[in-house]
Amino acid sequence: MSHSLLDQDFGSDEEEEDFNPAPAEESDDENAGRAKASNRDYDDEEDDEEDTDVKAGRPAHRRGSEDDVRNRDEDDVEDAEPAAHDDEGTHEEGAEEEEGEEEDEDEDDDNDDDDEDAVSGRPRKRRRRGGVANFFEEEAGVDEDEDEAEDEEDELAELGGEMHPDDMDALPVGAETDDRRHRQLDRQRELEASMDAEKQAQLLKERYGRNRAAATDAVVVPKRLLLPSVEDPSIWGVRCKPGKEREVVFAIQKRIEERPPGSRNPIKIISAFERGGAMAGYIYIEARRQADVLEALQDMSNVYPRSKVILVPVREMPDLLRVQKSEELNPGGWVRIKRGKYQGDLAQIEEVETNGLAVTVRLVPRLDYGLNEDTAAPLVDPKRKRPGVNPAVARPPQRLFSEAEAKKKHGKYLSATSRLGPKSWNYLGETYIDGFLIKDMKVQHLVTKSVNPRLEEVTMFARGSEDGTANLDLASLAETLKNSTAEESYLPGDPVEVYRGEQQGLVGRTSSTRGDIVTVQVTQGDLAGQLIDAPVKTLRKRFREGDHVKVIGGSRYQDELGMVVQVKDDNVTLLSDMSMQEITVFSKDLRLSAETGVDGKLGMFDVHDLVQLDASTVACVVKVDRESLRVLDQNGSIRTVLPTQVASKITPRRDAVATDRNGAEIRHGDTVREGYGDQRSGVILHIHRSFLFLHNKAQAENSGIIVVRTTNVVTVSAKGGRSNGPDLTKLNPAVMRNAVPGGGSSMAPPKFMGRDRMIGKTVMVRKGPFKGLVGIVKDASDQQARVELHSKNKLVTIPKEILVVKDPVTGATVDMSRGKGGQRVPYGGSSGAPQSGWQGGRTPMAVGDSSRTPAWGMSSSARTPAWGGVGGSRTPAWKNDGSRTSNPYDGNRTAYGGGLGSRTPAWNAGARTPYDSGSGSSGFDAFAAGSRTPAWNSGNRTPAWSAGATASNGSKDSGNYDAPTPGGNYSAPTPGAYASAPTPGVSAPTPGAWPDSAPTPGAFNAPTPGGPSKRPYDAPTPAAWDGGNRPYDAPTPAMGGTAATPGAGPYGDGDDGGPRYEEGTPSP
Amino acid sequence: MFFLKEETKVISLHPSYFGPNVREYLITRLNEEEEGRCTGDHFVICVMDMVDIGEGRVLPSSGHGEYTIKYRAIIWKPFRGETVDAIVTSVKPTGIFTLAGPLAVFIARKNIPSDIKWEPNTVPPQYTDHGDQVIEKGTGLRLKILGVKPDVAAINAIGTIKEDYLGPL
Repeated sequence: MSHSLLDQDFGSDEEEEDFNPAPAEESDDENAGRAKASNRDYDDEEDDEEDTDVKAGRPAHRRGSEDDVRNRDEDDVEDAEPAAHDDEGTHEEGAEEEEGEEEDEDEDDDNDDDDEDAVSGRPRKRRRRGGVANFFEEEAGVDEDEDEAEDEEDELAELGGEMHPDDMDALPVGAETDDRRHRQLDRQRELEASMDAEKQAQLLKERYGRNRAAATDAVVVPKRLLLPSVEDPSIWGVRCKPGKEREVVFAIQKRIEERPPGSRNPIKIISAFERGGAMAGYIYIEARRQADVLEALQDMSNVYPRSKVILVPVREMPDLLRVQKSEELNPGGWVRIKRGKYQGDLAQIEEVETNGLAVTVRLVPRLDYGLNEDTAAPLVDPKRKRPGVNPAVARPPQRLFSEAEAKKKHGKYLSATSRLGPKSWNYLGETYIDGFLIKDMKVQHLVTKSVNPRLEEVTMFARGSEDGTANLDLASLAETLKNSTAEESYLPGDPVEVYRGEQQGLVGRTSSTRGDIVTVQVTQGDLAGQLIDAPVKTLRKRFREGDHVKVIGGSRYQDELGMVVQVKDDNVTLLSDMSMQEITVFSKDLRLSAETGVDGKLGMFDVHDLVQLDASTVACVVKVDRESLRVLDQNGSIRTVLPTQVASKITPRRDAVATDRNGAEIRHGDTVREGYGDQRSGVILHIHRSFLFLHNKAQAENSGIIVVRTTNVVTVSAKGGRSNGPDLTKLNPAVMRNAVPGGGSSMAPPKFMGRDRMIGKTVMVRKGPFKGLVGIVKDASDQQARVELHSKNKLVTIPKEILVVKDPVTGATVDMSRGKGGQRVPYGGSSGAPQSGWQGGRTPMAVGDSSRTPAWGMSSSARTPAWGGVGGSRTPAWKNDGSRTSNPYDGNRTAYGGGLGSRTPAWNAGARTPYDSGSGSSGFDAFAAGSRTPAWNSGNRTPAWSAGATASNGSKDSGNYDAPTPGGNYSAPTPGAYASAPTPGVSAPTPGAWPDSAPTPGAFNAPTPGGPSKRPYDAPTPAAWDGGNRPYDAPTPAMGGTAATPGAGPYGDGDDGGPRYEEGTPSP
Repeated sequence: MFFLKEETKVISLHPSYFGPNVREYLITRLNEEEEGRCTGDHFVICVMDMVDIGEGRVLPSSGHGEYTIKYRAIIWKPFRGETVDAIVTSVKPTGIFTLAGPLAVFIARKNIPSDIKWEPNTVPPQYTDHGDQVIEKGTGLRLKILGVKPDVAAINAIGTIKEDYLGPL
């Protein structure tokens, strides 16, 4: 911005008439360079300056009447007003004006002095007279505007010989004749000048560093000597409003015009400039004193001299003025538009103007062809921006120009331009070729760095090629991208190759990165092991087919994992692990990945996770985008949700179990196939209620996730071919099997199965030191129980026989046997739900069971009391049953009921049979073990069992019954059993076998639905109960007839035991 | 490539199995568990013999016996560049899924010769060059393994048939 005085002056000297004011822009450009102390500038203008300096000296000396005093005077002026000189240089207008004046003066040569004032009409002109007259005035000591005077003098001097006669008149008498003396003086001065050259140089150097050029003449001065020193004027950085830097500089320029050096209140700064983008918010002012700066900027808008003013250290001054080489733009390169309708759009450079300031770009137009034009809208000044309408937001989509569309509504604006080559259209003042908008733009309106064109954007440009083929210039694209390659895209250890330049063909691994230079450790060839520096531009990452890589950015495939299937120069095609789709990306966007399995994660969510969307909807994540999830919900629909919309993530239950349509157990990891429909198959990822989420690698859509119902799948294979051999970490089944052959002699069934029923019960101590105290059984062995006493909050071990079970609510004593019987039922009932873990996915089944279960549970419990109450009466009933129970199974079971062992089997599904036999052995060997086994299989027995169990309860065999209860649950499906119940014969032995227990089972059996339906004695049974004082007994048979289901009620009631059951009984 | 590899395995045994048949139990168990297993690095094809069964050790807490068995097994470790024969399990527009023994190999579209094209209209769908080369479900293929990606208990591989002497057999 600042031209030094000397520059300017001499420029005008040289060019004189044909002076051509420099265009503003150019001078803008020169700003930094021109500022004093800029080395570059110096080189450029060295010659000029030499010339000018020489001239500067001479004319001055040539002045006719000048003397030493004048000379000194001039020096002083220069000293005092350096800013003034700069001022002129800084401002073009000033310069122009000056030129104008000079022209005027040329005219003046022809005209009268007096006229001139009138013509110019400017105050400054006041002093402008005919050249020679001026000279004399100055000599008279008027030095207000020394520099201008100087100009004129210079001019005058040049014109000297050809002075107009009129002007001559103005000279003092004898001026012409004094010529000799003038020359003499000149010579003398020249001599002085030559002698004083050094001294003069010194002087000049102090003032203006670059003037040294004049002193050193043609000698090349090392640049470092041209650097500013402390003696040079300082530069202050002043805060200003960001974006207004240039404006402020212009304002300063204007102010300097108003208050030129030499005026009453001159601006005493030397230069002012700004550094644009890099240092937005600052302008820099060169001045001798800070006070000068403050004064110059006083009351100026957008600049804040009162805030902190930074003095730029001498060391940093050169940096401040360093001109950054502007980005070199090449046709074919990619840029982005900074603002306007096409803000952010990618554009391809078509042409670059030679000055590098303007480029022609090719854009995909965004046109609406007047379709959205509101013809009725009032005419508004198109220049005025309507508030609230951001052209970048409400804009038509990118589409190639279509003349057909344009003709529809805007035919009048459309005209074809004939041109060599492709046809072009002119529409609304813009040019369209091949559908693209061709637009001239200034470089400053383009983003040239970090353009990062995306492949999909670039393909839009390829589409328009003439022959219809997509001749996408990937090379130039890659070039653009290369420019934006940040150093972080190369990490130590990345395999790279040098693909151009001297080191072409080198293969290695990066070991470090410094800016644009990457150090490569060569891994192949003669140089293996050496470290070599290579510029980023010549490098590309190297991948082999089969490498497992991750996309690291710059592409919309970010975070995809995949395996490389093809490598072609810079383009790598990889096969995504997740979607099995081929993706082509640039090698710079890839990195070798050691990760296996999981792809992208979004916060806590991962592909294949099961998430809860709302209370009734679960979904499986099929894709994780940067900000959203794509999920497949249980109904099979795909949705996109935000992470915030996900209620929760369901932690996978690996042990979840479900059954397929054939009733086979299926678990996580099993392979299943759809029974109907597409017969899709897959590996079970999640089991959620009745839905399965399967994963099928061969399916591309939804990342291979399928959702199906459990009822619609058949098992193909179990996970990893579940070992069907014995589990060696469990009890050897052979050991148990071995017991069977032993028959009656084999071991007795274990006394306890499952947890002791006492545990958790409220008990009262009957005797001993704790007598009367109530507590809860925490733990129990067969003899002892550890009881937490309510009163003492202490665990004591007490023999079981002195404990009485109490109802925790009523406090009533619960008969242990009854309690057990009652207990069982709730146990069974409740067990279904809480034990879901054990039952797994089958939970629904449990529910189903329970409906059945109640039948027996209820019947058993209900009956039990009755039975207990009226033993005798029942017995016949029982006998009836027995008679009915021709079925050996029934009989057997009954026996089991009697024998505790019978229960055991219920518990251990597999083991049961032997137990049964064991139990049977107690007296029922007659019931061939084998016969029983089938009963088991049928599952029908259960009722019988429970019956038996209850019976045994009645017989006061303690504890043992619990076991059967669960058995009961399982066997729930039992209805068959009922049917079988009638089987004859068996019962006959039974009674004999058990005098005691026999009745019990019988009683139960009687009620069993199967029995009643056919048997007349059913009737008796109730009767028997009636005898037992039970009004509800009557219903029992009904119950037998109907589904046991109603019995469920009692289960729910649970703990209360006997009474509730009784209530339940009637419910059927 | 196939290797004979010596490995060790620890098997624990419920006390109820202690007895004269311990060795049989162990062998059965070893075969069941090891043969066909994929470690993520290789497949165990066959357990050859047991080098050493070692003495069982009874674990203090559970009473289980713990046997450290050294055995030799034939393993198969697929390598990049290895040529294998495989059976096509399914063909999709994206490529061909094959099984080379226990190893699932995917052949991407890019790795199928350009003259063999996707033909979705036939039943079953196939890749064909409309000549004698037809690739459909069940076809035997000779392919070259391009890359192997180890997983926790599986190996995924991609292959190519875009080279001489590769393709349907």
